[in-house]
Amino acid sequence: MRNFSVRYHDGRLSVAHDAMLTLMPDHWLIHYVDPSEELLSVRWEIAPIVTDESFTGLFIFRYGDFPQQTIECRETELPVALKERYPEKVFFRKKVTGIFRQSNATIIGLAVLLIALLAAAYWFLLPVAAEAVAATIPRSVEAKLGDAMYGSMITGYEVDEEMTTRANAFVKAIDFKTAYPIRITVVKEDDVNAFALPGGNIIVFDKIVTSMKTKEEFAALLAHEVAHVHYRHSLRNIFRNLGGLLFISLLLNDINGIVTVLADNSNMLANLTYSRALETEADQKAMAVLQSDGISLKGFVDLFNLLKGAHGDAGSLKLLSTHPLTEERLDLAKAKAREQVGIKDQSELQRRWEEIVIAGKK
Amino acid sequence: MEPHYNESRQLTFHGEGAKLFGIYIVNILLTLVTLGLYYPWAKAAMLKYLYEESELEGSRFTFHGTGKEMFIGFIKAIGIFLGIYCILLLAILSKNVTIMSLGLLVFYGALLVLIPIAIHGALRYRTSRSSWRGIHFGYRGDRKEFVNMFIVGSLISIFTLGIYSFWFIIELRKYIFKNLRFGSLTFSYEGDGKAFFWLNVKGYFLSLITLGIYSFWYFKDLFAYYVDNIRMYQGEQQLVFRSTATAGGYFRLIAGNLLIILLTLGLGTPWAIVRAIRFVFSNMIIDGPLDVNAISQTEEDYTDATGEDLADMIDIGLV
Repeated sequence: MRNFSVRYHDGRLSVAHDAMLTLMPDHWLIHYVDPSEELLSVRWEIAPIVTDESFTGLFIFRYGDFPQQTIECRETELPVALKERYPEKVFFRKKVTGIFRQSNATIIGLAVLLIALLAAAYWFLLPVAAEAVAATIPRSVEAKLGDAMYGSMITGYEVDEEMTTRANAFVKAIDFKTAYPIRITVVKEDDVNAFALPGGNIIVFDKIVTSMKTKEEFAALLAHEVAHVHYRHSLRNIFRNLGGLLFISLLLNDINGIVTVLADNSNMLANLTYSRALETEADQKAMAVLQSDGISLKGFVDLFNLLKGAHGDAGSLKLLSTHPLTEERLDLAKAKAREQVGIKDQSELQRRWEEIVIAGKK
Repeated sequence: MEPHYNESRQLTFHGEGAKLFGIYIVNILLTLVTLGLYYPWAKAAMLKYLYEESELEGSRFTFHGTGKEMFIGFIKAIGIFLGIYCILLLAILSKNVTIMSLGLLVFYGALLVLIPIAIHGALRYRTSRSSWRGIHFGYRGDRKEFVNMFIVGSLISIFTLGIYSFWFIIELRKYIFKNLRFGSLTFSYEGDGKAFFWLNVKGYFLSLITLGIYSFWYFKDLFAYYVDNIRMYQGEQQLVFRSTATAGGYFRLIAGNLLIILLTLGLGTPWAIVRAIRFVFSNMIIDGPLDVNAISQTEEDYTDATGEDLADMIDIGLV
């Protein structure tokens, strides 16, 4: 017969009795000395004994109806003894929560697995989900969203009305092959930059226009931005970013403040970087547009060279940070320009371009 | 004059970040894999561990709640929320201004009623499922009374532009502590709305003036105002709770936890939890004579976890 020292609580009073547990063949016997020095014993039938799920080295058993009697035991040999003594009753059920009792390696393995899952969700699942959500946004909602963004954004800039009017006239002369209504706004900013908002608004900084030498460059820039609009690149980007913020805020249990600061970054769109895949897609669409309109693709080569910093000072080339420029893009433009046939007369476009240049010099 | 006691007690926390991490990681994985359905079991496991590592007078606390109980509550709570959101959605889809404003009214009205119901239910469940040396805690508040009190207090707070809210919070604490039981032990909260209001005014403006530096003293004061006003009674004997938290200690806790959570992208949360509990336990002293062997069982069993889960969804944290 094996005895274990336990602590016994009778469920009526908060006395912790230091007691002895004896494992009898068909019951448990708990005996202890009462504060009045009287020797008492309690009998527990085996079947109704309940084991507490334990997370420490403490084994806890309960017995009876509420309020239950309890015994706590710290002796490590107890589980083995119980198994030997009462093979028909399972005292310690293996639970999934017991994994933490496994080796450190298991836990670290699980942590790595979790990180891998989260990383996979962030880099693979999230973009797909965000794109799927972006695709379900109807065009009317997209236009409203874009207008709202345009409204809040444009207040931060000084609009060049003259150049804006001329630039919109320039746009009318090109068929961009998109259902989106394209509206250009030229703003006075000492940066080489341009960006497209969802729904068809395109904001162009005057510095990039005045740095350009030819109408083809401007046509190439516009065609490229229109392609971003057409393929809903900025909408997709916004959803990706929002999804990313949401994901991180969930991960961090939303430590207030940080996320708000990130989300409040009103400059978000101007700083959103398009992925290379999106840039290439936009380039291809833009080149196809100029090609079918019979506009020389040399515009792209000149535009990329302008962006590369051959003309302007590199520090103010903000466009590059949002539209990553790679050698491949430049090479592709050169190759396409060499192959190009069917360039049409563009005297009307030239006239409109010259008007922009004049407006830009004012 | 501070009364002098020659007997004082403290809760001790033996939990370790590494151990909690093992539970936490399994919880997250299973919750992810089951699309959230495992959440109640995850919560039960966390609470069981945290209770088991909390010690008073050589005995550990026990959390008796089970994942199953909380799952049933979870489903009920989801049902209630779905119902409310459906009403709101239908009202918005009707595109009729009257129905829309009516729907909004119902929505906010329902939330206003749900919050006290959640607090009440969570208190009843959580206390009933907590024990020490086999003696259960309990909450004897009356739901109807509490809901009425909550709605009236909220409305007055809104109409006084929040000024009444300080008196309101104190009223709530008084009611909750008055109805809190630990076996035969009873409690009370001795705070005062006016003092609490001025404490907040002072804390808020000094924090503003010092660009937030004072906020650590402010939080220390808030913690102290909570703890110092708790009384516990064993028969005629009164016990007083006392805070020893300092602004420096609070700063170390907050700055440390923020760094831990940020640098580990949330994976370090278990260590942050352990640090927070240690901070609370080590800064809370119970002064006064207590016969730890004479607390008798007085409370009944209560296993409905709907309030607990509702409270989770509305994001009400219970201490």
